[in-house]
Formats: sequence, structure tokens, C-alpha cells
Amino acid sequence: MGEEKKSVLRVHSYAELAHRREESGGLYQPDAAEEQPIIRLDLVENILNLCRANSLWPMTFGLACCAIEMMCLGMARFDMSRYGAEVFRPSPRQCDLMIVAGTVNRKMAPALITLYEQMAAPKWVIAMGNCAISGGPFAVRENYNVVEGVDRLIPVDVHVPGCPPRPEGLLEGILKLQEKMTGTRYPFPQFKPPR
Amino acid sequence: MTLGTKNQDRHSFYLNMGPQHPSTHGVLRVLLEMEGEYILEPEPVIGYGHRMQEKIGESLTWNAFMPNTARIDYLSALMYNHGYVGLIERMTGIEAPRRAEYIRVITSELNRIASHLLWLGAFLLDLGAFTPIMYTFDDREQILDILEDVTGSRLTYCYYRVGGVSRDVDGTFVEGTRAFIRRLRSRFPMYDDLVTNNIIFIKRVKDIAQFTPDMAMRYGATGPILRSTGIGYDIRRNEPYSVYPEFDFDIPVGTTGDCMDVYLVRVREMEQSLRIIEQALDSLPEGPCMTKVPRRLKLPQGDASFSVEAARGELSYYLVSDGSDVPYRLKIRPPSFSNLSLLPELCRNMLLSDLVMALGALDLVIPEIDR
Amino acid sequence: MTTPNKLINDLRNLPATVHEVDYRQWGYHLDVLLEAGRVRGFAGMLRAHRFYLVFVSAVHTAPAIEIIYQFACYSRQCRILGRAAVTDNGTMPTISDIYDGANWHERETRDMFGVLFTGHPYLEPLLLPEEEADRKPLLKNGSAVKAADRIRRPNQAGIGTAEPHQGQERDQ
Ligand code: SF4
Repeated sequence: MGEEKKSVLRVHSYAELAHRREESGGLYQPDAAEEQPIIRLDLVENILNLCRANSLWPMTFGLACCAIEMMCLGMARFDMSRYGAEVFRPSPRQCDLMIVAGTVNRKMAPALITLYEQMAAPKWVIAMGNCAISGGPFAVRENYNVVEGVDRLIPVDVHVPGCPPRPEGLLEGILKLQEKMTGTRYPFPQFKPPR
Repeated sequence: MTLGTKNQDRHSFYLNMGPQHPSTHGVLRVLLEMEGEYILEPEPVIGYGHRMQEKIGESLTWNAFMPNTARIDYLSALMYNHGYVGLIERMTGIEAPRRAEYIRVITSELNRIASHLLWLGAFLLDLGAFTPIMYTFDDREQILDILEDVTGSRLTYCYYRVGGVSRDVDGTFVEGTRAFIRRLRSRFPMYDDLVTNNIIFIKRVKDIAQFTPDMAMRYGATGPILRSTGIGYDIRRNEPYSVYPEFDFDIPVGTTGDCMDVYLVRVREMEQSLRIIEQALDSLPEGPCMTKVPRRLKLPQGDASFSVEAARGELSYYLVSDGSDVPYRLKIRPPSFSNLSLLPELCRNMLLSDLVMALGALDLVIPEIDR
Repeated sequence: MTTPNKLINDLRNLPATVHEVDYRQWGYHLDVLLEAGRVRGFAGMLRAHRFYLVFVSAVHTAPAIEIIYQFACYSRQCRILGRAAVTDNGTMPTISDIYDGANWHERETRDMFGVLFTGHPYLEPLLLPEEEADRKPLLKNGSAVKAADRIRRPNQAGIGTAEPHQGQERDQ
């Protein structure tokens, strides 16, 4: 096999970064200073956040079983478009929400980081399912391939537990994300669980 | 396989499709050597969904591995359950009561229909038709409701047990399933109008990606892909397991093996599954749904194999036991693995947009291929 | 038993040790024990009998890794399991030119067990990432490896039985 082909096969320039982050074993903490905007106008920011929260563009990023439940959420019965998040985009450049639905393994990790880096800020991540949270059923002693939690690789905003979570669960995750973005829970009226 | 070594004199370039691409159904990556719009050499790169199922299978007791079987192929989880309990039952000589076997057949076939419905929607979505997937998911949700009632989960079932099923079904299940059969039967004419007789659809899939019987044999392809070439090979008929021999059903076959035939085979298979369910419901025997099984059941020393017809083809489990309750080696043979391996031969000198059709027709589930 | 005697005779003439197996308990009909050098002949013969390849895999036993081939037939009910121990330097002749489907199965076996298939056109890692191609995850370590006669049915001649001095340790 030609050397040229080998280099084509190995497109993941983030491979080492991914392994380093995974091996560190802890939460990935992005550099806080880098994340700050240069100019900050609170009122404008608030209005923008309100718009962003009610028009999330998720990426079609199905990795395993959980992806099917994510599809269900977009389809007829659960209908994610009620909350303004139905525009699934295949290209990371057009998205601001990455729903990591499924198991990330060591081969996929560099691609995951690539995709995350390709998204334009501001961007958010939902870790859907136990696999994305902690490795789920694959976090066994013999584990040689599964990354035990995507929060080792990229910063995660909302975790949705379940194996797989029900579509309602993911819906709640999206509402939680909206709450995180704006400080208020949409849509109105607010639902307060009884005490 | 020999990519990059030949075609030196042609003006070719590489195109990378995936691992995150909407029409590769998960995390398949296909590396393409292209000349203009034509594919000179496609090479699937897999492993992005590898989850160590075989390693886990030989480090847990056979009992503790049960829930994992559903996660290998989450679209036909009950068939994977079935294969695994079938294997253990075959080795240890335990027999499930007849009622349990009937329930297994009914729920397996429901699961098969759900899987095919999802395929139907996704296949057409790849073609660019967005509406059908809304309808198929609507139907699929009805099945999930029925199955959720008896199994307790929507997708990754762990319902079958060695010696039976974990919960008995009741009148609501029977009624609900009958209602679903009526509903789906009444929807088929609509699907036909919407899709099968649609001239755009026909022009898009006719004569695309032709499978041949010889190719299937060399690659070990099974399932609807194989049947679309005219070979009526179905494990339910050729190597019967459970109570399948007691039902009267046809094995739909195609003639030319193109994407249209694959489509027709799958749609007719759904009708046959409905027939099986109907017969099973009519003759559902009374009795217990579980036999007594010792707590710590040791597997006898030796190796055994068990095959079932999963939604995508032949699923084989092969287990080597050293006499303890932990398998010494568990090999899982998923159907899509062999089916996908014929892609390079199938798609050589094809248009890139037709590759999407071929991938859709193969009905891939990547974590099943990678395990 | 649906296997015609001619097939068994052909197999015995390879030569190979052929056992008929009780399908109801073990799920296959013929257990064929081969030498590594005969594998290609075996595959070619089954190709002529119109069998298809179900899978190629391996079992890590002592003294040598055993490669498993399973074949079945579209037209009649017959499942054949071929077993062959790898040669002393850990290699095995490929059958990927006889059955194209074996190509991927052999690559996977190389990933998982490190068995090298001689003559294979493209023995690159399939499932594991390229950087970790030498991990060989399914190899068992140390005392977990069992001799072939401890994982086979008593009447099924194992490959390792001839050399008792190689005998491996009890479990845990
Ligand atoms: S959390 Fe469970 S359902 Fe989701 S990807 Fe992991 S194994 Fe599959």
C-alpha cells in the first residue's frame, strides 16, 4: 500500500490530543480565558441567548443505540420542533448543539474532537445515554477501547442518563439546556414539579 | 483493498465519506478513490463503533451478558436475545414451555417489522424523500408501545430468559397486537401509492447495485440481500429453530438483486411477519411461560453454535465452554459484517450518489458490524 | 443427518479428521480437524460443494491458537466447523482468494489475536485504531489459557491432547 494512501487513511490530526485527554482520566476543562468574548454587552447577550435557546440546531451525530431514540424525538410522535430544535444538520459548521448519542471509542475520539472544533461558537454539548456519560455497560474491567465519558474529551453541558434515555428524557435535557443558556425555563408556562 | 496501487495513470482523487455522515447510518467511514463522479475503488473503514462485545462475553457469566446482546444490534434486539438464549438452551438441554416459544416468535416478528419500518424510512430519507419516514416512525411507535408493555423497554430489550420469557403476556397484548396488524395492513396500500409506484423512486433504484448469487456465496451474504437475488435462504425455514416450523409463511424472493428487489423483499417480509404473528396469536397455548432453571447453571464442556434469522440476515453465536458458567470464547457473527464486505465489489465504477443507495439497501447497523 | 456421505468421504480424503456431531445439542453437523497446510484445500473443496462462509475466527488455547472456520449451505441443512491450529510461527494460509468474504474476517482475527495470514492481500487493522493495532485484545493471559482438551467435548479429539507436558493451569 502506498504511503500516500496511508496518510489519507489517517486523517485524524487530533489522535494524540484525544488520547492525552482520555488518559488524563478527569473532566476536560477548557481554558476559561479563551472562552470570554472580547466585548461584552449584557443586554444584547441576553436577547441573543433567548434567540439561540429557542432555535437550537443540533447535529446528526448518531453513534449507537441512543441515536435511534434521538431520531424518535425528531419524528412524528415526540416532535422536537415544538421547542425549536428540529433542524438537524449534517455539517458541524451549521450547528450549535452536539448531541453525543452513543458510545465513543478510541478510534472515534479524534473524529469527535475534530467535529467539536469545527462547530462555530457559541456551542453546546449534550451527553446522551450512559455510554456518553461514563461508558455505561462497557465500563468494565477489561475495557480496552471505550472512552469512559465524553466529558473527558470535550466540555459537556447537560447529561441525560438512561440506556437509552427515553425521547422524553432527551427533551428534558434540551429544556435544561435552554434553562442553562437563558436562566429561565422555556416554554411558558413554567412547570414546577409538586413538592 | 488494493486502493492506491493501481489506477496510477488515471486522474483520480480521494474522497472521505464519514465517519460522521448522515447516509452511512451511524459511524461507517468509506474511503473512495474517485474519478469525477465515478467511484474507482471504495473501501469501507470500520471500527468506529467497536465496543468489545466479544471480550465482555467471555469475562461475564453467560447470564450477566444477556443485556449486552440487545446492544449489539439495537434494531433487532429481540432476535439477538433469541439467538443467545437459544444457544444456552441448546447446550444445556433446557426446553422453554410452548407458550414462551410462541411469545418469542410473536415479539421477534414484531421487532422485525419495527426494524424494517425504520429501514424503509431511512432508505427513502437517503433518497431525499422526507415524508415517508414520518409515517414509518408513526407505525413503529405503535410496535414500541406494544413491546414496551410486555418487555419494559423501548429499544434495548432483555426480555427472553433461558427457559422462557421474563413476563407473561395478557389480553391487552393480544388485543393490541391484533389492532396493530389491522392498522399496518391498511397502511400498506398507502405505502405502495406513496413509494412503490412512484416513478421517481423506481428510476432511482431500478438496476442499481445488482447483487448476484455467486457474489453472495463468495462473501457469505445472507438476509434480504441474498433473497433479492432469488435464493430463498432463510434460517427460519432452512434451519428451523423455536416453533417456526409450525407456521405457514412464504419467503419472498426477488429476481435481479437490484435495490428495487431488496426494497420489495423487505416490504413483503413485513407482510409475512404479520401472517406469522396472526397465526401465533390464534394458537397461543395456555400454560406457564417459564420453566425452572437452576441458579448457577454450568455450561457443558464443548463448543456449540446457534443461528437465527435476524432482521438483516443470519446471526450466529458460537460459544466455546470450559465447563464453567463463564464462556471461554464467544464469537458473534453479525449478518451485516459479511454483507458490508461485498461493498467494494458492488460499487466499483458506480456513481457516488448510487453508493448511497447501495449502503441504504444493505441496511447497516454499525455497532453490529463492529461489535 | 442430511449430510451426504460423499462430502464426508471427500473431507476424510483431504486428509482431515471428521466427527459427526449431534446437531440438536451442539448446533452443527460436522467437526473437521485439519492441519494448517490443508486449510486451503478444505476451503476450495467446500466452495466446489457450494457452501458459503459463515465466519472465520480463533480460539486462544494451548499449545497453539486454533482458527475456526464455519461453513453452511444455502440449499441444504449442513453446518461444518473446521478447526486448525496455527503453525509454529503463528501464521496461517489465507483463504481470502477462495472466499472473498474471508478477507475481513481474517483481518479481524489478526486484530484480535495477532495471527498472520500468509498470502493475504491487505492485512491491515480492521476494527482497532491504527495506533493500537498490536493490542491483541482477545488473547488470554497466563493461567487463563486452557489446553484444548479442557474446552472440547471429551470424545472430540483436540489438537493439544497429544502433548500433555504443555498442559495448562486450572482456572483461577
Ligand atoms: S447508553 Fe445504552 S443504549 Fe445508549 S449507546 Fe450506550 S449501550 Fe446503547
